[in-house]
Amino acid sequence: MTDLNESCGQLCRELKAAWAIAKKDIRIYYLKPNIIVSGMLFPLFMFLAFAIGRDAPPTMLVPGLIAITILFSASSIEPVSIPIERRTKTFDRLLSAPVSLHSVVLGESMSGFLYSTGIALVPLSAGIILFSTPIVQPLALIGGVLLTSFCFATMGTLFAAYPTESPGDIMSMLNLVRLPLIFVSGVFIPVNALPQIGQIAVLFSPLTYGNDLIRAGFEGTTHFNPLMDVLAICVFILLFQVAANHLYRKFNE
Amino acid sequence: MTVHAIEATAISKKFGNLLALSDVNFSVADGETFGFLGPNGAGKTTTIRILTGITAPTAGTATIFGHDIVRETIAARRQMGIVHEISNVYDDLSAWHNILFASELYNVPRSAGERRGKELLELFGLWERKDDRVKVFSKGMKRRLTLAMGLVNDPRLLFLDEPTSGLDVQSNLIIRDVIRELTGQGVTVFLTTHNIEEANLICDRVAIINRGQIAAIDSPERLKKTIQSVQSVEVAFDPSSPKLLEHLRELPLVSEVRKEGDKFRLITEDPSGVIENVTTYAREHHTRIISMTTIGPSLEDVFIRLTGLMIRVKGVKAID
Repeated sequence: MTDLNESCGQLCRELKAAWAIAKKDIRIYYLKPNIIVSGMLFPLFMFLAFAIGRDAPPTMLVPGLIAITILFSASSIEPVSIPIERRTKTFDRLLSAPVSLHSVVLGESMSGFLYSTGIALVPLSAGIILFSTPIVQPLALIGGVLLTSFCFATMGTLFAAYPTESPGDIMSMLNLVRLPLIFVSGVFIPVNALPQIGQIAVLFSPLTYGNDLIRAGFEGTTHFNPLMDVLAICVFILLFQVAANHLYRKFNE
Repeated sequence: MTVHAIEATAISKKFGNLLALSDVNFSVADGETFGFLGPNGAGKTTTIRILTGITAPTAGTATIFGHDIVRETIAARRQMGIVHEISNVYDDLSAWHNILFASELYNVPRSAGERRGKELLELFGLWERKDDRVKVFSKGMKRRLTLAMGLVNDPRLLFLDEPTSGLDVQSNLIIRDVIRELTGQGVTVFLTTHNIEEANLICDRVAIINRGQIAAIDSPERLKKTIQSVQSVEVAFDPSSPKLLEHLRELPLVSEVRKEGDKFRLITEDPSGVIENVTTYAREHHTRIISMTTIGPSLEDVFIRLTGLMIRVKGVKAID
């Protein structure tokens, strides 16, 4: 019983510390110019580049815009904040605190998650207000937004493990992954319309499953089973979290 | 069985082929102020990073109040406060938000954290500026805030990495006073510093580390006794001239001469013989001696002898 109480106490302390880290990031980084550019403007221009001139209905375009907004905004906080904190040595403050590395990773990811969830409301509201896009499965939409946000926030934290003090180094690596994901996730080109190799590649992209759930919120149908979407995103979150924990430990040696 | 605040046993650390620490052993008693001295690159920061659980040793163990820093990292860290070498405060947050963040990270309850935060900001003379963003603070103010953040959890053991390096007089005095107050309250202090006089004044014991190995551990006074051969005579002349340095070097019994401000320090094993020679020299050269004092070995002399370094006017020269 004492062990159980101690474990619960420790879990509570870990979550509080993770939340403190997230709050700190919210206060410091949300309005940094490079985060606004890569988290808000970049996905908007990507969307316009695809949408302008295409005769696609809003129900096709709005879910895609939401998905790439989440991809870019969720994964933009930590690749900026962590290298800066390495340079100012404030990251050592987190590494030497009485909390596990998992909680540090979780706290960092939480700030990206909250940022992205908030930013996703912009294209969502625009879709509803400007294009009168109907929401047919709210649960799928909410689940898709939340899970995808957390998944890409954790991916951002994973990339930020690379031991550099320059945000640009991490952003460059991250874009090597983020940009191809747009083309192999059914965001603008439906999965069915992709060539054979593309249809295999989509299985390895977390954006595929997030986009599928978000699209279900508007269209009511999914390419994969919704439960499989949820499960796949959860597996990616777990993989990113474990890998991030491993890399932060390794690079810290 | 006595539980030491710190017990480092046979610690080694390798970075690739580089052996940064080799078989380091020492213990720090509860309530002791322990100085850790060494030249740049000697292994001071690596030792602190191992003792605080930021990095793991390649071999050996370290315990903090009985908790193994590798296996019981969190329990060990709950006992400690850490003031890193660089003032690692968040420039974009106010002093108040910085200190609240530190208290949340150390799981200090909200009300206790606010109370302790106010006490510390007042103690370090920062309460009036609590709502200002730290980016407008001076170097000394940031250092004081860093120290305040390290104390927010009322640690039993405080790691201080170069706490007063490059600070203004006011910040220096405040920080030294606080360290004295903490040691008076029974807090164990592990201090690394380049300021040997500071270690001499504050520390119960010091360890001197060089090239990753402990060269000596003892109280400052005992360490000084180990090099009684390094006596010196400090003398000031009127008029003083640069040529005096050359002339004094040629005096019998003088092994080395250092110009220190308007005075000359003559290193010797026979101070009384040197006093006679200096007096004779002054009489023969019609120069007046303003003051002459014999000085015993300082902790700095011990440090120079043990680390094998001597700062010259130009460059660094080995004396052993």
